[in-house]
Amino acid sequence: MLIQLLNGLVYGGLLYVLSVGLVLIFGLRRVVNFAHGSLYMVGAYVGYSVSMLAGFWAGLVVSVLVLTVAGALLDRFVFRPLQDEDPIVTMLVTFGLLLVLEDLVRSIWGRDFLAMQPPPLLSGVVQLAGTSFPVYRLAVIAAAILVAAGLSFWLRMSRVGLFVRASSVDPLTTGMQGVDTERLSMMVVAIGAGLAGLSGTISAPLVALSPSMGGSILIDSFVVVVTGGLGSFTGAFVAAMLIGQVHNLGVVFVPGAASMIPLVLMAMVLIWRPSGLVKAGV
Amino acid sequence: MSGKLVRPAAIFLSVGVAGAAVPNLFGSPLVLTLLTQGVINAILATGVGFLVRQNGLVSFGHAGFFGLGAYIVALCANGRVMPVELALFIAILAPALLALLLGVAMIRLSGVAFSMLTLAVAQAFFELVLRWRSLANGDDGIAAQLPQRILGLDLSTFQQPGSMFVVCWIVLMAVLLGLALLVNSHFGMLTLAIRENEERARFIGYQTILPRAAIYAISAAIAALAGVLFTLYNGFVTPDVLYWSLSGEALVMAIIGGTRAVWGPALGALIFFLFKNAAGDLTEHWPAIIGGTLIVVTVMLPRGVSGTVMMLMERLGVRTA
Repeated sequence: MLIQLLNGLVYGGLLYVLSVGLVLIFGLRRVVNFAHGSLYMVGAYVGYSVSMLAGFWAGLVVSVLVLTVAGALLDRFVFRPLQDEDPIVTMLVTFGLLLVLEDLVRSIWGRDFLAMQPPPLLSGVVQLAGTSFPVYRLAVIAAAILVAAGLSFWLRMSRVGLFVRASSVDPLTTGMQGVDTERLSMMVVAIGAGLAGLSGTISAPLVALSPSMGGSILIDSFVVVVTGGLGSFTGAFVAAMLIGQVHNLGVVFVPGAASMIPLVLMAMVLIWRPSGLVKAGV
Repeated sequence: MSGKLVRPAAIFLSVGVAGAAVPNLFGSPLVLTLLTQGVINAILATGVGFLVRQNGLVSFGHAGFFGLGAYIVALCANGRVMPVELALFIAILAPALLALLLGVAMIRLSGVAFSMLTLAVAQAFFELVLRWRSLANGDDGIAAQLPQRILGLDLSTFQQPGSMFVVCWIVLMAVLLGLALLVNSHFGMLTLAIRENEERARFIGYQTILPRAAIYAISAAIAALAGVLFTLYNGFVTPDVLYWSLSGEALVMAIIGGTRAVWGPALGALIFFLFKNAAGDLTEHWPAIIGGTLIVVTVMLPRGVSGTVMMLMERLGVRTA
C-alpha cells in the first residue's frame, strides 16, 4: 500500500512540474499551450541523446536549457505576435505545433521505443516497509518537492515573483506601474517550457520514450489545470497530487480504462465546484 | 418568403446533383477512393464548424466522437448481438448522449478550459482503445464483419468507391440541409444569442446551458455519423480514427472553409482535398503537414474562404442568406 502511495506521488510530482508550467504561461499570456506535452516529449528525447554522450546529469542540464530557450522563442514568435487575437487563435497555433513536433521527433529519433538509464548515483533500491523501492523514484519525488518549494518561494518572496503575480491578475495595470510585462512574459514562458523539459528528462528513466509519450501526460495535465482551477498554483499542486494517486490506482486496478479515471474525478469536482478546487488568486 | 428561398434552394440542388454525377467523371478508382474519404472528412468538419458557428467553442477532440462511432459499429457487428441497423443508430446516438452529458458539465467553463477538455476526452478514448486490448485489439485495430445487406442495400454499395461516394455525398447534403434549417429556427437563433451574450440571454429568461450542450451533442452526432460511414466503407478501424491528428485535420478544413456559413467547412474539405492531392509524396509527414497548414491558415485566413466570399459579396451589395 505504501508503495502504491509512493508511486502515485512520483506520477503526481511529474504531473505537477508539467502542469505548473501551463499555469504560469496561462497566468501571463491567458492562453493554454497545447504543445506543452510535446515540449515534455522533446525534453525527454534531448535528455536521452545527451545522456548517451555525456551522462545523465549533462542530459538533464542540456535538456532544461534547450527547452528554456525554446520557450523564450515560443513566446517571442508565437505568443507575443498573437496576443491581441482571440485566445483560440493561439491555441490553434500551438495545437498545430504539437502535430509538427511529434512528426519531427519521429523523423529524427524513429518510432521505436527507447529506454534511458537512471544515473549510477541514484540507481539501486531501498527497503521500505518490507519491499524494495527504487532510489530514483524517491529522487523524482524530491525533485518535484524542490520545484514546488522553489517556485512558491520565488513567487511569494522575490520582487520579480511579485511582478509575475501582479501581471497574472491585471497585466495592464502592472504595465502602467512600469513593469516590462513583455520581458516578464518571455521569462515566465521560458521557465514554463524549461520545467516541461525537466519533467520530460526526469521521467525518461521511468517510462519508454516514444513520439506519442506527450499525449497521455498532456490529458492528465489538462485535467490537473482545470480541476485545480485555471490559473491557480496551489490548485495545480493539490490536483496533481490527487490525479497522481487516482491515475496510479487506475493503472493497477483497471489497466485498460486507466485513462478514463482522472476524467471521471474531474467531472465530479467540476459538478461540485464549477471553478475548480482552488480559486485563482494572488 | 418563398422568393427569398428560391436562390439558396437552386444552388443547393445544383451542387447536390453535380456532386452525385462526380463518379461518372472520374474513371480512376484511386481518385474516387480519395474523394470518398474526403467527403467523409467533410461531414466530420461540418460537425466541428457547426459547433464554432453556434457556440463559439472550438473542439480539439472531434476525432473522439468520430472514432467512437466507427468503433461502435465495428464492435457491434462483430459481437452479432443486434441487427446492424440498430448498431448504426446506437453508434450515432451514444456519442451524442455522451457529448450532451459532457456538455452540461463542461459548457459552464471558459472557452479555453472547454477546448482543453475536448482534447483530453478524445485522447483518453484513444488511450482506452490502445490499452484495452481484449476489447479493441489495441494498435492493430479490428476488422468489422459486416452483414451482406445493410439498410436494404448490398454491402458492396458501401464498399465500392463509386457508389459509396454517392451515398456519402447524399448524407453530406442531408446534413447541410438539416443544419441550414436548424440555424434559421428559433433554437438556432437562441443559441446564436447565447453565443453573443450569455448573460443577457439568461436575463431575458432563457436557460443557457442545455441549448449549448444540445448544440455540442448535435455536432458530436455529425462526427459520429462520419465515423459510421468510415467503418462501412473501410470495413476496418484502427486507433488512428481517435487520434488528435484527425481532430486537427477537421479543424484545418473548418478553418480553411470558414465557419460563418454552415457549408463553409465542407468547402474547406474540398479545398483541402485538392491540397492533399498536390502534397502527394509527402504523406509520410502527414501530421506535420496538417499542423503546419493549421498554423498558416489560422494566422493568414481567420475568416476562411466562405467568410471572405460572403464579406466580398456584402461589399458588392449582394444579399446573402
